[in-house]
This record gives sequence, structure tokens and C-alpha cells, in this order.
Amino acid sequence: MSAASVIADWSAPNQERARRLLETYPEERSAVMPLLYLASLEHGYLTSAGMTQVAQLTGLTSAQVQSVASFYTMFKRDHVGRYLISVCTSISCYLLGADDVLAAVETETTARDGTTSVDGAFTVEHVECIGACGGAPAVQVNYELVEGVLPEKATALCKWLRETSPDVVMTDAMQKSFGGVRSFDWGIGEEQGAVAPVPAFGPYGSTGGESAR
Amino acid sequence: MPERPPPEMVTITIDGREVEVPQGEYIIKVAEDLGTYIPRFCYHPRMTPVGLCRMCLVEVETPRGRLLTTACNTPVAPEMIVDTESAVVQKAQEGILEFLLINHPLDCPVCDKGGECPLQDQTVAYGPGESRFVEEKRHFEKPIPLSDIVLMDRERCILCARCTRFSEEVSGDPLIEFVGRGNQTHVITFPDEPFASYFSGNTVEICPVGALTAKPYRFKARPWDLEAIESVSMVDASGASISIETSQNEVVRINGIDNDATNHGWLSDKDRFIFQAVNSENRLTAPLVRDDAGNLQPTSWGEALDRVADALGSVRGDEVASIGGANNTNEEAFALGKFLRSVVMTPHIDVQVGDALNPDFLVGITPRAEIRDLDRAATILVWAGDLKEEFPTLYLRVRRAVTQMGAKLVVVHPRRTGLDDLAAAKITYRPGEGPEVVRKLAAGADADYAAARELLTAGSVTALIGLTGRAEDPRLAEVVAAYALDLPGAKVLPLARRGNVFGGLDMGLAPTLLPGRVPVTSESGRAELESAWGPLPDAVGRDAAAILAGLAEGEVKVLLLVGADPVRDGRNPDSARAALAAADFVVSFDMFLNDSNQHAAVVLPVDGFAETEGTVTNVEGRVQKAYRSMTWDRLVWGPERDGVVMPDGPGIQELQYTPDGGGVRSTAGRLALHSGRVLYDAGTRNVQSPALAALVPDPAVYLHPRDASALALTDSQVVDVTGEFGAVRLPVRIDATLAEGSAYVPANLESTWMLGVPDVVTIEASSAEEVAE
Ligand code: SF4
Ligand code: FES
Ligand code: FES
Repeated sequence: MSAASVIADWSAPNQERARRLLETYPEERSAVMPLLYLASLEHGYLTSAGMTQVAQLTGLTSAQVQSVASFYTMFKRDHVGRYLISVCTSISCYLLGADDVLAAVETETTARDGTTSVDGAFTVEHVECIGACGGAPAVQVNYELVEGVLPEKATALCKWLRETSPDVVMTDAMQKSFGGVRSFDWGIGEEQGAVAPVPAFGPYGSTGGESAR
Repeated sequence: MPERPPPEMVTITIDGREVEVPQGEYIIKVAEDLGTYIPRFCYHPRMTPVGLCRMCLVEVETPRGRLLTTACNTPVAPEMIVDTESAVVQKAQEGILEFLLINHPLDCPVCDKGGECPLQDQTVAYGPGESRFVEEKRHFEKPIPLSDIVLMDRERCILCARCTRFSEEVSGDPLIEFVGRGNQTHVITFPDEPFASYFSGNTVEICPVGALTAKPYRFKARPWDLEAIESVSMVDASGASISIETSQNEVVRINGIDNDATNHGWLSDKDRFIFQAVNSENRLTAPLVRDDAGNLQPTSWGEALDRVADALGSVRGDEVASIGGANNTNEEAFALGKFLRSVVMTPHIDVQVGDALNPDFLVGITPRAEIRDLDRAATILVWAGDLKEEFPTLYLRVRRAVTQMGAKLVVVHPRRTGLDDLAAAKITYRPGEGPEVVRKLAAGADADYAAARELLTAGSVTALIGLTGRAEDPRLAEVVAAYALDLPGAKVLPLARRGNVFGGLDMGLAPTLLPGRVPVTSESGRAELESAWGPLPDAVGRDAAAILAGLAEGEVKVLLLVGADPVRDGRNPDSARAALAAADFVVSFDMFLNDSNQHAAVVLPVDGFAETEGTVTNVEGRVQKAYRSMTWDRLVWGPERDGVVMPDGPGIQELQYTPDGGGVRSTAGRLALHSGRVLYDAGTRNVQSPALAALVPDPAVYLHPRDASALALTDSQVVDVTGEFGAVRLPVRIDATLAEGSAYVPANLESTWMLGVPDVVTIEASSAEEVAE
């Protein structure tokens, strides 16, 4: 089956991204992880059908794709809310009150850790270190980082998400409104943001770049 | 052919002993060859090491001091110093075992593996004696079926990846994989994609714990109650070595034995589970004779044998004929041939039922390949049936040669075969147009075949040649062989599928051959045999098709069916049935009643596979001993032999091929039938093995999309397929891998055998009302 016919039901931009990804690697199977993000973006989360499509694109079996997908927690194999709130509970953030941040997020979103709110707006999870220890406690919204998020800021952040329901979330914008101490000045601001609970790396095709600009 | 240079040797020290060992070999293998067993779970000599389980830790001296390293994936290097039993190593082994047992359930008393379990055994030998782990072990729902045959108890799994590596590396159908991470990791299939592999049983055999079990053996026996004997699988003619394991005089399991020449220890699930047919309730146990009302009735051996003797005595010798014998040992075949030729005095003997390949081609072609030649070939040509369906263990050898030994593969077949994914060049052709393909390959003019031609002329070629399907003209194989033998470094392995068909030919069960591959027409050969056996008929006999024709014409009157079913396996079921009905007397030797012997005058029950002892000859001419695992009879054996019997000289007789393919049946202009075999067909032994009977696919007719649209047919539409011998109603499957202008009907499924094997078929949509009935 040709690549195009396998994902004929995907949106045109996602089909195009998939085509580019497959061209990027000398071995098609090397594209498996970015394609899994694309499939998640396409279907809202990583469905069985999505894994089978990625298998057909890469020449792997569905079982092999499932093996890769199940190893990494960032491939969500169940429904995810519109905004995925990841609260770091590793050591630095823990010492600076991550438990309270998580509790505040749970209260505001009405989603318990590891679940999705009834209205489908939020999925809440606790995660291991997200590399922002200097800016602890740290939180991610659709993998866009916000640092120095004390409990009341976290509450405000979630409230803002619900009330304005932004199409794109962006680190710099959220940091300005809801962040506190940053680990360091990250330099030139990023222009791309996340449109879905999938990382916002342009080349990996998920979001941002194009639509945010 | 360039021989591989011998490996360079290096000097290393193992446990204080200085030894010379081949460079690049892994420590675990080197140590084992020296008599030092290093415990292991994930290492398997026929698969790439992965260093997963850490059980094989040894100490190696390095510039940074003595370090623990895994022996299974560390190659030896010059002046390496290895310690396999230091205190540190022992502590490591204890630690690894304690660690592996953290989550392992210790349900050994109810586990099928208990008693032959590497984890159990090595825990006794190398383990710490007790565990410090008091917490809760992991739990899973148990068991979950991975397929119709294989079950998985996940909590027993130690994550060695033997099963997953086998399915990826060896059998090439990775339908099982690890999922999850950390202590939630387990092996499973994708939802709704079962582990439907022809080779799934191997994972059960190599699992070092009881995580994988196969339904036919699960909870059937304990290892210490089993008696194992070595034998040869008769499912096909590749000669796979097996261990037949019995409990209380019943076969309960078959495992593979690592035979470097043949199967490397691997088996197809058909090799592994076909034994269920031996235990079938439906087996014939008493002789049957036809009573006056025409029904088969059980009787005594004396009465049955008297009837056979009377029948044989009432006709001339050359009015007697025999078909079959490929399920028998060489000794049985020899006895049968001797009886027929020297006592009955008939030359009409054919071990092949439907294939009709030239016996001289099968046993006489030189230079003949061994299976091992695949490992040394630069190019492998497979112009034969789909090996995955017909010769599954040979398929694995070809697969290995291509994926690991660097051979290039050329496949020629009317349809997609199991090997196509590995092929560097594939030629798809309409049945009937084979000679044309040979001509183009030989002439080298056709650009389409340039890739194949380049590979075939590049270096030493090993060619596997047989019939691609049952409708193929058998003479085509000789045409192909004649072409192949002109290729550089060519060796040919002629393929005929049935268990001991090559042994049968060697023993003279062929119209043209006396025992020992001596042509009937050789005066001196016959004279030599006559000096031992007395006078023999000097004519060339009839082959199976001519025997059936002779029955119909009244020239053959008495027929012996030796495990043969010409109604199912010949070209024309109706005429075979008519021929059997026209016979004065038919005696069948069989384990079961079938479509042919239902009409016999006498049916004699016989010993089956695992119940007789003797030698079996595989496709290479390799003679191997099959021991008896169960007591059912008393037969006298010939002397034990081993090794490959190669034809000497330039073949026993000039092959009667016409290199331009003249005379090979043509199917021009019509829909050519491709009657390819499938592994799980509706053959008696499959049907009598419950584990396999469930796997027989639904019959269908496969059409190329263009042919389908020309006929205005769509997928799943029901059609009538009609040929000169019969008709059958089947659903259509659209199949773009099939040669245009042909129709693929899998041979011998529940209804497809009624079509017979015509060269061409016509296809018409069935009218809706008829379909509804
Ligand atoms: S099921 Fe058996 S063979 Fe497969 S990984 Fe687990 S322990 Fe190893
Ligand atoms: S511990 Fe939270 S970001 Fe590192
Ligand atoms: S046998 Fe070496 S790590 Fe498993």
C-alpha cells in the first residue's frame, strides 16, 4: 500500500508532514516516533488505528509500533483533554511545593492526577523532572513549559485556559502571565506554540510553527 | 566457489587455562566448547545475542581492572583473561537470580515448564538459596491467548526477548513484542492481531520459563514422565530433526532438534502439532472389507489378507499397480518395491501421487545442492512452490541465508510468496508461460528481467526448483533446471514435497527406477538385481496418471493405495473416482478413510508417523534415522545409515528436457489456473489434528484486479469456477500480486479439491438465487 493511501483520511497538512518525515530518514522505520506524534495530533490521541497506520508507513508490524509507543509516556494511548497539564513532582519541584501545585490543578480542573475532566477540557498528570529544576515548581501545558508556578498561579493558569480556551498555547506568553522565577533567561522567544497535547516541534510536524505564525 | 578463509585464532585465558580460540567468537560459546557452561537465559546459539538477562556475567581483566561483563555478547580478543567462576561472578549470578525471581511467581508445581525449566535449574545451580524480597509480586490476568495455539502467562516472563527475537529475526513475522516499561513490561500482540505465525510453536520451545505454552501440550504431562526419541519430521521432505515425546504410549509433544544440516532446531507448527493425527479417534484400527451390501465392515487380519492375496493371485502381474508410499520409511518402501517387482511382477509403481515430476530429475540431477549450500551461495534462485507453505523449515534456511549470510534472492512464481519481501528480484508469470520466462532469462534481451539476470550470473547460484503449483506442467521444472545448471557455480536442489518421496524413489517406487537409482532400462543394473531377487519385469511402468487411465481401460485390474488419495491429489477427481470404481480390486493401506479408499475392497490400517522405525531420506538425499516412539507394530529394519547419498556421475540418465520448453502445456489466451498449496490445507492429517484443523483457511478464488474488472467481478462476490474436470463455487479475492491472466485457487481446501487441476478455468458470477440456497 502506498503511503498516501494509508493516511488518505488524515488532514492535508498532516499528510504533507508525514511525507516529509518519511523522506527525512534513510530508513523508513526511523520515522516511527515523529509519526506517532502526528498520528496523535490527527486523532486526538494515539489510537490503535493510528498505530497501525504508522506501522504501514514504516514497514513495521503494529506490535512493534505498539512496543515503541508504550515505552514512552508522552505517547498517549487513551483520550486526552484539550489541555494536558503536566505537573513536575521530581525532587526540586517537590521541595518547592509540587504537591500543592498538583492539588491546586486538580481542584481547578476537576481532573484527578492521571485522569481527564468530565468536560474533556483537561488531562492532569504528574511527571518526572522536565529539566526546569532551576525554575521549580514547573508545569507544562501541552508540553509548553511554565516555570515558577506557585499554587495560586497554577489555579489562575487553569482558569485562564478554561475561560479563554486558546487555540495555541505558548511558553513565553504563559510565563509572562502565570510564571515566576525562571531557571535562566532562555534568550530569543519562541514563536511557535502547541495546538494540541502533542509537542510543538515544527520539524516533527506536530503543531506550532505554521499555525502559530 | 571461494571458500571462506578459516577464522583467525587468538590466545585467551579462561579460568587459568590458556587456549587458542577463533577470533570474534563470543565468550559464552568459546567457554562451552571448552566444557565450561556459563549460565544463561536470553542467549540462544541460533539468534543474535542481546545481553538482556545478565545471567552470563563473567569477570574479564581490562586496563581498568577486573570487570563484570556479559559473556553472551562479548567477543574474545587477543590475550583476554576471563574468569567464569570467581567469587565476584558467583555473587553476581546470585544477585541476578534473586532479581529475576522478584516477580517470578514460583508456581513451579503447576507450571508446564517445571522439571525442564532453565530458570528452575539455574536457580538450583547458581542461585542464592533465599530471597530478601518480601513485597508483592506483579500480577497479570492469566493466561491470555496470543493465538489459537499459543498462550501467555505474563507474570512468569523474565523478559529475555527470545520469543520476540525469534519472531523478528528467524521467522520474520514480529507479531509479538514487549509493551510497557519497567516492571510493567510484558510480551503481547497488537490488539486483534493474533500471533498467527506458521512458526509460533518455536517460541514456546525456547522460552526459558513457562510463560509461553502451547494448547496441545498445556497441562498434559510432566517432563520427567516423558520419553523422548529422535526422529525426522515427515510433514515435508526437508528432513527436520525432531524429538517425539510420549507419555504412557501416547505422543504428547514434538520439539525441534538442532540439526546443522537441516532445520537448526526450528519447526513449523505443522511439524510440531501434526502428531495429534496419530492420536486421533478416527484412526482405523481393524482391517475393513467390503460386504455384499457394499459397506466396509471390520474383519480379521486373516480374512482381509486372504482377500488381498486372492485378488493378487487372480490377475497377471502387470495388471497390478501401486500408488503412494511417500509416508513410509525407506525400509518399508524397499520391502514394498521388492514385493511388487519380484513377487507380483509388476513395473507399475509410483510414489508420487499428483506431482508427476520426472523421477530421474528428482534423484539424478547433478550437481545437486545440499541445504547447507544456501549459506554459501551468492545468489539463490527459488522457482518452486511457495516455500513458506510447502517447505516451512527450508523457508527459514533461505530466509537466514538472505538476511544473515548475504545471499541475494531471486523468486519466480505466479503470485506473491512468503519470500518475496526478501527477494532482490521477483518475476511474476502466468502459469503456462514458464518456458517463455526461461527463454527471456537465458537470452538476456528483456529489460524486465535484467535485475534477475544480473544476480543469477553474478556468482555461485543455488537453485531450488519444483512445481510452483499443481497445474504447472511438471516438465517445466526440468526446463528450469537445465537453464539453472548453466549458471555460474550452479547447484540444483529439486523439490518434491511429500515426507519420504525421495526415499521412495531411491527404493525404486517409480515406474522408471529400480532401487539404488538404477534405471529400469539399464540391462546391467537389472541383471544385477535379478541375481538377488530373481526375474523382474523389464518394462518401464506406468506412472500414477497412467495407472488410473489403465484402470479405466481395464488394463490394470488390481490397485494398491499406499497412504495415497488420488481423488484428492490427482488432477481429475471424477476420473480418479471412476478409475477406482472400474478396478476389480483396490486395497488401501492407510491410517484413515479418505475420498479414495472409501471405495476400496479392503482397507488395512497401518502404523503412522512415530510408530514405525527406519530411515527417511530428505530432499538432499540425506538419510536419517527415525526411531519409534510408540509400540504399534513389529517390522524388521535395514542397517542404520547416515549422510547424504549423492548421485554419482552426470546423473543416471540424460534428462529428457527440451531447453526451449517445447511440449510444456500452454495456457495462452485463457485464465490459467494457479493451484498453489497452503501449509494448513484440508489434508487428512491436518484435519485430524485439532490444533491445525482450526487454521485451515476459507477457500476462495484470487484474481488480479484487471481480470476481475474485465469480468466485472468485485471482492467477496461469489463465482462459479469451472475447469475441464469439475466446478466449484467460491468467493472472489482481489489480489494484485497474482500474475495477470491467472486465477489462484489454493489446492486442497474444503471444497477447492473438487475443481481438480485443470490448466485453465472459466469464472462466472453465480446468480443471486443460487447463492442464497
Ligand atoms: S515469554 Fe519467555 S521467551 Fe518471551 S521474553 Fe518472556 S521469558 Fe523470554
Ligand atoms: S525537578 Fe521539576 S523540573 Fe527538575
Ligand atoms: S545470556 Fe548473556 S545477558 Fe542473557
